[in-house]
Amino acid sequence: MISSRLKMGLAIALFFAFSSVLAWAQMASKMDADSAAIKQCVAAWEDAWNRHDAHATAAAYVEDGEFSSTTGVPSHGSKELEAHYNEIFTTFLKDAHRTDTVRSIRFLTPEIASVDIDWQMTGARTRDGKDAPNRKGLLTWVVTKQRSGQWMITIYHESAF
Amino acid sequence: MNSGCSKTLLAVLLFLTFSAASSRAQMASSHDADTAAIKQFVANFADSWNSHDAHGVAMHYVEDGDFSSIKAEASHGRKELEDHYTTIFTTFLKNAHTTDTVRSIRFLAPDLASVDIDWLVTEPSAPGGVLRKGLLTWMLSKRNGQWMIVIYHEQSF
Repeated sequence: MISSRLKMGLAIALFFAFSSVLAWAQMASKMDADSAAIKQCVAAWEDAWNRHDAHATAAAYVEDGEFSSTTGVPSHGSKELEAHYNEIFTTFLKDAHRTDTVRSIRFLTPEIASVDIDWQMTGARTRDGKDAPNRKGLLTWVVTKQRSGQWMITIYHESAF
Repeated sequence: MNSGCSKTLLAVLLFLTFSAASSRAQMASSHDADTAAIKQFVANFADSWNSHDAHGVAMHYVEDGDFSSIKAEASHGRKELEDHYTTIFTTFLKNAHTTDTVRSIRFLAPDLASVDIDWLVTEPSAPGGVLRKGLLTWMLSKRNGQWMIVIYHEQSF
C-alpha cells in the first residue's frame, strides 16, 4: 500500500520534473530560433545597405520606425527613412561598405528585443568629397517580432568611437 | 416596439462610444502619468549622479541591468555597476556634473519604454568646461510601480 503510494508520488514528481524541463527546453529553443531570426534581420539589413538600396534598407524598419544618427539627428517613419538613406547613399557614403556583427541580444518580452551590434565602415568620404578615416562603433537597435514571425527595426541608434 | 428597439440600440451605441472614449482617455492619462514618472526618475538619476553616490546611481538599475559606455565597455548587474560608478566618481569624473534633459519617450508596452535623453557633462578642467555632450538612450521597465533602467547606452558627439 505504502509502496504503491510512493510509486504514485514518484511518478507525479517525475512527470512534473519532465514537464518543466520540456517547457524550459521549448522556451530555450524558441529563443534560439528568434536569435537566429534577429541575426538574419541584421544580415539582410547590412546586405541592403551595402547594395546602397535605400528602399530595402528602410523596409527593414516598422512603418513608424525611428532612426537616430551618430550625432543624434532623427528620421521618423518609412518615408523619411528612405529619404535619409537616399541622401547618404548618393553623397558621402556612396562608396562606403559596412560590416555588422551582433554582439548581444536581450529579450525584453518574447516579441521585443534589444540588440547590440559592432559596426565598421570603410570607403566613407567627408562632406567635401575627400577620403574619410575608417569608422567604427556600436549600433543599438530595438527590434520587434511581427505577426509574420519576421523581426523588424523599431528604434535604431548608432554611436561612433 | 420599433421605437423601443431604436432607443435600446441608441443607448447601446452611446454606451459603447462612451466606454471607448473613456478607456482611451484613461490610457492617455496613464501615459501622461508614466511620462511624468519617467521624467522624475531621470531627474533623480541625475541627482544621485551629481552627488557622486555610486550606490544610489546603481540602484536606479534593475538587479541584472546593463550599462554600456561611450566606447561600448559593458558593466552588468548591480555589483559591477556600483564598482563602475565608484571608479568614475573617484577618478576622472570626481568633479563632473551632468545635466540630463528628456528628449523623447516611446512606450513599447505599458511597462516598457525607450527614452532618449540629451546629455551634457561639465568639468572645471575640461576645455570650455564641457567634458561630454551627447545622447543617452535607456530602456526602462516598470517594476512594482517604479520605472527602472534595464539597459543604458550612451553616445558622445
